[in-house]
Amino acid sequence: MASNNMVAMILAGGRGSRLKGLTKKVAKPAVHYGGKYRIIDFPLSNCANSGISVVGVLTQYESVLLNSYVARDHHWGLDGKDGGIFVLPPREKDQLGLGVYRGTADAITQNIDFLDQEKAKYVLILSGDHIYKMNYEKMLEEHIEKGADATIAVLEVSASEASRFGIMNTNDDDTIYEFEEKPENPKSNLASMGIYIFNYDSLRKYLMADGDKNNSSHDFGKDIIPAYLNDGKKLLAYRFKGYWKDVGTIDSLWEANMDLLNNKSGIDLFDPTWKIYSNDSNAFPQYIGEKAEINNAYITQGCTVYGEVENSVLFTNSEVEEGACVIDSVLMDSVKVGKNVELNRCLVMDGVKIPAGMKFGNAKSDEILLITDEEIRKAGK
Amino acid sequence: MHDVLGIVTFSSNAVDIRGLGAYRSDGAISFFGRYRLIDFVLSNFTNSGIEDIQIYVKKNPRSLVEHVRRGNYNINSKRGSLKFLFASSYRNHGLYNNDITCYMENIEQIMQSDKEYVILAPSYLVNKINYNDVLKEHIEKENDITVVYTPCSNAKEDYMLATTLVLDKQSRVTKIEPNLGKYKARNISTGTLVMKRELFISLINKAANTSSLFTFADIIKDSIDDIKVCGYKFKGSVFRIASFEEYYKSNMQLRNRAATEEFMDPHWPIHTKTNDSSPTIYTEDAEVSGSVIANGCIIEGTVINSVIGRNVTIAKGAVVKDSVILPSVKISKNSHIECAVIDKYAEVKYVNEIKGTKKHPIYVKRRDRI
Repeated sequence: MASNNMVAMILAGGRGSRLKGLTKKVAKPAVHYGGKYRIIDFPLSNCANSGISVVGVLTQYESVLLNSYVARDHHWGLDGKDGGIFVLPPREKDQLGLGVYRGTADAITQNIDFLDQEKAKYVLILSGDHIYKMNYEKMLEEHIEKGADATIAVLEVSASEASRFGIMNTNDDDTIYEFEEKPENPKSNLASMGIYIFNYDSLRKYLMADGDKNNSSHDFGKDIIPAYLNDGKKLLAYRFKGYWKDVGTIDSLWEANMDLLNNKSGIDLFDPTWKIYSNDSNAFPQYIGEKAEINNAYITQGCTVYGEVENSVLFTNSEVEEGACVIDSVLMDSVKVGKNVELNRCLVMDGVKIPAGMKFGNAKSDEILLITDEEIRKAGK
Repeated sequence: MHDVLGIVTFSSNAVDIRGLGAYRSDGAISFFGRYRLIDFVLSNFTNSGIEDIQIYVKKNPRSLVEHVRRGNYNINSKRGSLKFLFASSYRNHGLYNNDITCYMENIEQIMQSDKEYVILAPSYLVNKINYNDVLKEHIEKENDITVVYTPCSNAKEDYMLATTLVLDKQSRVTKIEPNLGKYKARNISTGTLVMKRELFISLINKAANTSSLFTFADIIKDSIDDIKVCGYKFKGSVFRIASFEEYYKSNMQLRNRAATEEFMDPHWPIHTKTNDSSPTIYTEDAEVSGSVIANGCIIEGTVINSVIGRNVTIAKGAVVKDSVILPSVKISKNSHIECAVIDKYAEVKYVNEIKGTKKHPIYVKRRDRI
């Protein structure tokens, strides 16, 4: 373990069912984003860049791909002698048998033995499906300096959005006196980012107590944080400023990709001091053909463009053939766009081949169209 | 193919990549956006199942070692081995710093190997070759040495001074001579050789005992009457990068999509070191055509028929045409660059025009600010 004595636990078991077909076979943290990344690259790279060397990844839903992906810890430089990424899916236990994770807190409770074995002093709880860059070491410094029992990262959101989040009501010194889940009339605009630092000793006690309760939903937001507040423990809000996105829907995933084209959005993947690491493909550099027209685009290696690409993001090995026109769209891994195809406000799922001449999407539609193989079959009839 | 020791050969004095070669070993030269030259030979070795590899280094090993050490060539990290070997005592002795002195100094490393065969290949070659096919023919024909060659139909202009092979009907090499541009069709040696490790060792010893200036090529030339040296015709594309002109030309030829397709085989990946660069961003002012572009670039200007390396920025109003831009170069506003090779970290800031010709491209030095 690194000198900061903090073990990170990334909650990566969620399906993300509002992402529809995209998460049919993979968990949400493994969904591709931004050309060459998977969403979980963000918390993992943040951990590596924050000097954390022991990272547990708690997986559950469709975990085969995710487990093998994160297990290659050298991609994030987390393969030091005393560190590593530890894949922690639910397991069969003596006496208890096989039990799934019943909630975010239960996932940690079921891995208490792992945290004991790592002799953690602090535990950092993270979500595997958020896109942001954050130095957790700074958060830990504040946690220690202010003598908090738990520190929760918060983001200022607009008043209209506040009722969609878990809201922290704070005193002047940023200590938290109340937590409200999706309040109708929010008293504050500080939304919980689902990032917590706990002193492990006390967290351990709360988790064990919570595990025995039958009426608990075993959730950090709903059960553990309220229990801390009830006991008058010192909970601190840590204000985060910067880009943060929970890509829960097709629209928000599309938006998060479009943010990469807008230098005012606040996400900067070019910063050499805080790189986001990933499993780089063996693809050749991108090729932009003689007749191609590119206007505002974010393109990664392995792509070939012979047609027109405007305001779009192209993931690894995607292809746009001659005469095709891709506008305001996202082409995920290995998507093939045939000749004279027109796409407008679409998100095309990994591996989908769009036959020549097809047209999808509409510049005026409010929603982003997700194109899967099924969409192509329907359109072909 | 477990019974082969792969050897990336010491670069010969015939390889002189003006400018680019001054800063690094030949194998470490950046090539085609995201690679270094050595990636091709190492990927050919490991894709052929050869996991025991020795790299003989002539000079400036730093960038080569850094790159290869962190490149992921798909070698089992326990059973496989990737060694860098130097000739420390002759490093500054010009002519004496040749392949034989380097092999002699490291002869123990070659003797200790338990492999029956060695395959030697240079790092200045860009091709996609399965060494299993060469070894198979070598064994079937009971050759002593097999030399891989590429037939060239334009030898009056291409491959100047390269080693050519004259073959008899059974493909036996009867004569080895440099290409002086006298004939149109020649068989050009790729410097790729297959032989038994034992023979390799005895030839090294023989060369060392003959003359301190003898190279491995000299001893083969000297031995063709005594041992069976045969040619193996390689049918794929070959790009030899032994001079600055060849460096520029190869980048430009590979830029053509048809030429790259051969190298885009998912079953024969070209491995390299990742740089964890972001994908490339093209702004609304960007105009790009006929170009190969690596990740991490910010393109705001015009790029035509060029090869652009990682993390290059091309500002608004700048034009880059028929050029090779190496990684981390900055091209400032309104600069016009045509037929140039711009080395790593250079910054084009104060001159508005750099213009070479396709035959004689201009070279801008590493870290230069012009």
